[in-house]
Amino acid sequence: MTRGGERSTAAAPDADVARRRLPPAVTGWLLMLPALLLLVALTLYPVLYGVWISFFNKHSFFPQQTWVGFDNYLYILRDPEFWASVWRGSVYAISTIVLQIALGVGTALVLNEAFPGRNLVRSIVIFPYVVPTVIAVILWKWLLNSQFGLINYLIEAMGLTDQPISFMGRNWIMVSLIIVSVWQFFPFVVIGVLARLQTIPQELYDAAAVDGANALQRFFHVTLPQLMSVLFVIVLLRSIWMFTKFDTPWLMIQGGGAETYIRTLPIYTYMRTFSYYEAGLGSAMAVLMFVMLAAATAVYFAIWRREQHL
Amino acid sequence: MNRAFAPLTMRGQLVLVAAAALVVFTAFPFVWMAMTAFKPSQDIFITPPTLFPRQATLANLERLFVETRFLTYLRNSLMVALSTVALTLAVATPAAYSLTRFAFPGRDNVAAMILFTYMFAPIMIIVPFYVMMRFLGLTNTHVGLVLAYTTFCLPFNLWLLRTFFQSIPVEIEEAALIDGASRLQSVLYVMLPLALPGVVATGIFTFILAWNDYIFARVLLSADELKTLPIGIADLYNASVVDWGMIMAAGLLVIAPVLGVFVVIQKYMVAGWGAGGVKG
Repeated sequence: MTRGGERSTAAAPDADVARRRLPPAVTGWLLMLPALLLLVALTLYPVLYGVWISFFNKHSFFPQQTWVGFDNYLYILRDPEFWASVWRGSVYAISTIVLQIALGVGTALVLNEAFPGRNLVRSIVIFPYVVPTVIAVILWKWLLNSQFGLINYLIEAMGLTDQPISFMGRNWIMVSLIIVSVWQFFPFVVIGVLARLQTIPQELYDAAAVDGANALQRFFHVTLPQLMSVLFVIVLLRSIWMFTKFDTPWLMIQGGGAETYIRTLPIYTYMRTFSYYEAGLGSAMAVLMFVMLAAATAVYFAIWRREQHL
Repeated sequence: MNRAFAPLTMRGQLVLVAAAALVVFTAFPFVWMAMTAFKPSQDIFITPPTLFPRQATLANLERLFVETRFLTYLRNSLMVALSTVALTLAVATPAAYSLTRFAFPGRDNVAAMILFTYMFAPIMIIVPFYVMMRFLGLTNTHVGLVLAYTTFCLPFNLWLLRTFFQSIPVEIEEAALIDGASRLQSVLYVMLPLALPGVVATGIFTFILAWNDYIFARVLLSADELKTLPIGIADLYNASVVDWGMIMAAGLLVIAPVLGVFVVIQKYMVAGWGAGGVKG
């Protein structure tokens, strides 16, 4: 980036030198207004409205509603299935995040090396991320099919098992879901880490090499500290989006999967709303999801700050 | 890129092996999908399976077009995704320009709110959003679906454009203004041409987000003739007997446009990530 570009980023508020009829604050607001109105009406308002209907006994389709106060929340907090879904969702989120980060950072390190065809390989590796979830899931269901799936054929041919594995069965469906999710979402980590790796000054590596650091030491003492800030953001976003992930697990259980074994909190919220038509309960669950995420984010920020001070 | 490539070193060989493994891991499922799409059913269910069809066929594609409403779904998907791109870009471009070029009271709060909404996931607002759309009579309409996509595409769009605009030096516009251009002229003839690649990239990212959505389309649409591709295909899959050849053919056609634009935008993804160039 040029020096001018950096300055403009820092000095945007003072950028306003134009001669014009309207005061800049007014023009600024006028240009902002349409987007802001849409954002408030379509995103912020539903969040608040969701909090409001969480206090009602409300059918998802019909307008009738009766005020029930905190009854929805009390019901949910006493519902063992709610806690079970929180648990399943946490297992899913944490295991996919750990695997995504490990695989993603490793992949980014490889793709940051110089080799022929690197740009093509980068494109290929990132591609699963932009494929519709429904395609990703159906594709893997075909590969993992218990009767005709290629993977079952391969592991049998290698002699690892003599019985086909029922990957959508209760013992394996969580594993299958995690495989599909990691495959689908680890490119996000690759993209973020790769972008950061490209900005680490070569001088740092040269200095470490002069000091006699080996590859492993260079990674832990040069690369990793430089990656910490981007990893902070990546872990935050991936945690929020994996904990709230709906379509991948939902599509996994379509067409005969062991549904209850991957019924995560988003799935349970959806079912309460659109299968049992309990919009009040569903809203309350979404609010609780939001509260849990906000609390986890606050803790995460606090830990991060403390680590920074040490 | 900074280090010289040395093909014969141990390290170089390891890198190549790792890269090859990554390509197999990420690309092979697509290869398998494509191969299945061109196999007649006796080749699909054969043991041991063969990579290439023994006798390539277009019957799967033909069934897709003749027996399903694939073309209707395709048209719906295109219409909804393009409308979403048009709507969000139309309001986000001036807004992002305003955020990076004007000092106005509350600006930092607006930016914080955009980041906050950027982190939302559909499941967190879908229940109240559905009730709202139902109240407005917009369920089972494409208008409702476009508004639904705006909920997550607009914050994404704003955040991305803001970063693109930030990277364009203010001095260039200032020079135009000093040379006597009006603000509008400086925007049209100086700023916009410079920002265009960023705007196009943002539009493409937004298209992919809308094109890929499942949950909002599932919840808002029930009429078959209104369905978009993701739910159309999910429903094909949910049929009592899964027609793997036809579904793989459908999958191939759905990722084809994504693949096409992806080749163009891949470099923006890695360059623009700090901007939040990806979501989901």
